[in-house]
Amino acid sequence: MLARKTIFWTLIYLALAVMAIYNLVPFFWMATSSLKTDYEVIDYPATILPRVVTFGAYSRMWIQENFVQYFINSLIVSVSTAAFSSMVGAFAAYGFSRFFFRGRSTLMTIFLASQMIPGVLLVGPYFKMLTYVELYDTLLGLILSQTTITLPFSIWMLKGFVDTVPIEIDQAAMVDGASRTRTFLIVVLPNILPGLVATIIFAFLLSWGDLLWALCLISEQSKQTMTLGITQLVGQFRVQWSEIMAATMITTIVPAALYLMLQNFLVKGFTEGAVKQ
Amino acid sequence: MQVREHHKGYLFILPAFLLLLFILGFPAIAAILQSFNIMWVSQPSFTVKSYISLSRDAEFLASLLNTVAFVACTVGFHLLIGLAVALLLNMEIRNKRFFRVIAILPWTVPDVIGGLIWRFMFDTLPGMVNAVLLKAGFIVDPIDWLGNPKLAFPSLIFAEVWRGYPFAMLILLAGLQAIPKEQYEAAEIDGASKVQGFVYITVPNLKYMFVIALVLDTIWECRLFGMVYSMTGGGPGYSSQVLSLLTYKHYFLFFNISYAAAIAAVLAGFMLLVSIPYLRMTMKREL
Repeated sequence: MLARKTIFWTLIYLALAVMAIYNLVPFFWMATSSLKTDYEVIDYPATILPRVVTFGAYSRMWIQENFVQYFINSLIVSVSTAAFSSMVGAFAAYGFSRFFFRGRSTLMTIFLASQMIPGVLLVGPYFKMLTYVELYDTLLGLILSQTTITLPFSIWMLKGFVDTVPIEIDQAAMVDGASRTRTFLIVVLPNILPGLVATIIFAFLLSWGDLLWALCLISEQSKQTMTLGITQLVGQFRVQWSEIMAATMITTIVPAALYLMLQNFLVKGFTEGAVKQ
Repeated sequence: MQVREHHKGYLFILPAFLLLLFILGFPAIAAILQSFNIMWVSQPSFTVKSYISLSRDAEFLASLLNTVAFVACTVGFHLLIGLAVALLLNMEIRNKRFFRVIAILPWTVPDVIGGLIWRFMFDTLPGMVNAVLLKAGFIVDPIDWLGNPKLAFPSLIFAEVWRGYPFAMLILLAGLQAIPKEQYEAAEIDGASKVQGFVYITVPNLKYMFVIALVLDTIWECRLFGMVYSMTGGGPGYSSQVLSLLTYKHYFLFFNISYAAAIAAVLAGFMLLVSIPYLRMTMKREL
């Protein structure tokens, strides 16, 4: 009996180890390649560990390739998009959660269905629209366009969180004379803080990883984001893998670190919010 | 003027509604009109020419098939691997936090970045995949993974399976954790086996989460753009071309505005069709 149990748990941990290796190998490859020299990175067959460790790819990339600018642009766009869509989304979420007005279910279906509209359907008209209002090739235009992905999602996720706050809390605040807006901002919002954080992070991740919108709506080099800058680097005639891997490291570290710091919030966010039972 | 209490709901929703109307509703309708050659094209006049040419375009038909195959394969594997890992992480294991962090890590990688990493992994000469296969003695000559029309598309699917499965895992894990332990204990007292417990308790309890993971993931994979763009660019030829990348190509490289809009409209129609069961199910739960 004991032996059977031991075998069972050995298999479980073996499976976990396989999962860990499967998940981590590409990270490992990206990290080691970014530390190789220009010559070693194109060796055949590839070396698994770098023979000589160098940070040359990182420093070249930062100095030569405008990546500091790309990084700042990405930060500006992602933070703005996440903050903007979560703010507007939170109000709408509260409206859907607390009020039973006419047309509520129709409106909710429309909002939900708006998640299903693919970005490629919108990029063409966006090009025209942004050119018309002179927002083509600006970060503001990029923020607006990325809100089309993050806002429908934010509303839906946040509504799930507001639903978990007992309505008695609202009523108590209003009995004390608080207005609806005040009740929402001072009483309900602090109660859904973990969910709000999870929503903001998720919107940030969506915006940070976007390529389509930046590719279609940004042309000037000083306005490019990290993802766009990296793909442009590949587009050039020679593929400099150590530099590209250094750039992908930087682009990956931001969302990964954010996730690791706040993973409990995010997991809780998924359990209580968007996917509540 | 006093606004009636239940009408205040409109005011809370108004900013989001107006915003979505302008940034999403309007361009979506404009794109549909573009596809019929009515608006924002060089010589506006109603015609279904674009849609007719679509049905004769070999690249479009191949991309349509590829998109369906890509979505079916990636979502299928995401759910399969996601469920397996979720079941593992739901057990009484040591270092649970540690394994959970690792399990979600691939999902934090932006898809365009994932595409680049795997493009380099699959690279013929300096790539890691060939190096490992060579050392293990499975191959003698390097395989041209992304240059071979038969291998490029499966390689792309392989990469996206890696990147995307933690999302399904996360949702299914949340579902597993929501199942009350008492149900299993009661079943055990009644003499049910572990397998019976899984079939009669886990599966029915997980059904709703499973559908959510299925539909949301399908939506993500249908619109996947960055990874295809950065990993294969749809090639070689159009062997790994998908609708989202094909739309981009026609809009911004060939300037076939009306034609590009028609392709995007087909993709949008497909996505809406797929999500109808989800929309109905979710709305039923909400009311």
